[in-house]
Amino acid sequence: MIVTPRITVRLVLIVIVGVLLQLSFFSRVAVFHTSPDVLPALVVSLGLLGGSMTGAVTGFSIGLLVDCLMVTSLGASSLVLLSTGYLAGLFRERFEIHSALVPPLMCMALTLFAEIGYAATQVMLGIDSTVSFLIVRDMLVKSVYAFFLGWPIYLLVRRILRPALVEEPRARRKRRDPTVLGT
Amino acid sequence: MYRKQVRRRRAVLALLIISSFVLLTITYGQSSGGLQRGVSTVFSPLQDAADRALKPARDLVDWFDKTFDARGENSKLKDELEVAREGAVAGQTAIQENAQLRKALGFNRSPAMVESGLDPVGARVVARAPIIWTSAVTIDAGSDDGVRPNDPVMSGSAMIGRVTSVEGGSAQVTLISDDSSAISAKILPGGIQGVMRPVIGDPEELILDYIETTEPIEIGSPVVTSGWEAQGLESRFPPDLPIGEITKAPLLEQEASQQVRLRPYADLPNIDLVQVLTGGSRR
Repeated sequence: MIVTPRITVRLVLIVIVGVLLQLSFFSRVAVFHTSPDVLPALVVSLGLLGGSMTGAVTGFSIGLLVDCLMVTSLGASSLVLLSTGYLAGLFRERFEIHSALVPPLMCMALTLFAEIGYAATQVMLGIDSTVSFLIVRDMLVKSVYAFFLGWPIYLLVRRILRPALVEEPRARRKRRDPTVLGT
Repeated sequence: MYRKQVRRRRAVLALLIISSFVLLTITYGQSSGGLQRGVSTVFSPLQDAADRALKPARDLVDWFDKTFDARGENSKLKDELEVAREGAVAGQTAIQENAQLRKALGFNRSPAMVESGLDPVGARVVARAPIIWTSAVTIDAGSDDGVRPNDPVMSGSAMIGRVTSVEGGSAQVTLISDDSSAISAKILPGGIQGVMRPVIGDPEELILDYIETTEPIEIGSPVVTSGWEAQGLESRFPPDLPIGEITKAPLLEQEASQQVRLRPYADLPNIDLVQVLTGGSRR
């Protein structure tokens, strides 16, 4: 990804709008008793399109913004989301994305990774209360939501960042063979 | 050239990881103060606007979810209604009897809220924490409206948490389902006391811990805040704020771990409108 000042502004706007949408909409709707978490999917999309550094930096920023807005201990969400973004970017740098299923599958797998990461961070910080088994169901359902939400998020982010994408395949026109007169 | 790039990448990654750990260490168990307050103040109008703009979409999703849920809940609610009707009749009789006894004793105590000099301030939830490990919401009332840290927060007639951080036009509320929450509560009518703790991952269940009784506790008994006061110390919450009702109280668990299970009255995952009880002496 070629990061120009204009692209940086777009990235900042993606981060802000993504966080506001998550806190004001997705966290507040519960489908089958589970609220979707689109932030890991957003970070994965940015990582897949921009590479490991873009993924890590935007993941860190999104986590920091969420922690600031919810006034919780800073750094926990940042740590989880920067790892998620870095892994998505690393995948993009090591492998070719051939199938259209790769982004939603990556969103699903890395959302599960992020949910496990949040759990690990909480364990690291210490939990005083009883933990319900329902938390496992919540993690799995969130990952399934990420699969379905991952694709539109990926497409939207790709559209917004299109001018900066180096390997963006251009719309190919089928070339017609020139007509040779006299044969 | 490539090696230089890789080295730079690794340096940035290391810097971000170290920053995360440093922030976590510095702000663990407390807010960072200035930074978080500043960000919250800047984003407060944006959150408010986003909340209003997205309300129709949220209502639509909620409608689908509730319609799906309602099919299964119909028969359960009919049974509950039957029990509630019996309770209401008993309650009416008790209120009448209470009024007569008060009159007879010349005892005219006002309800908990009025007695503690609390003034309810209405607010709307504008944001909610995205992870299940943190149960916190942001409301659109802040210090400008008289909200102060540790003010109790109600949804309908049930207590849902307390204010943990306040800015000019917004405040953060830590819900009773958050890991950091521990509230002294009592079971009515006996007044058995305990500490109410959450069950992480299940906002529809709470635990009343450290209860000291071997008497069987009745299912459906209401649980309210105890609002204790002793040796100059007092609970953060005024007494008698309703929290929930007992759902499971097996004598075995009660004796072995001194705890019973309860369900909060408030629908904690779907809170929209709240009341902050401002004022009062408790801080």
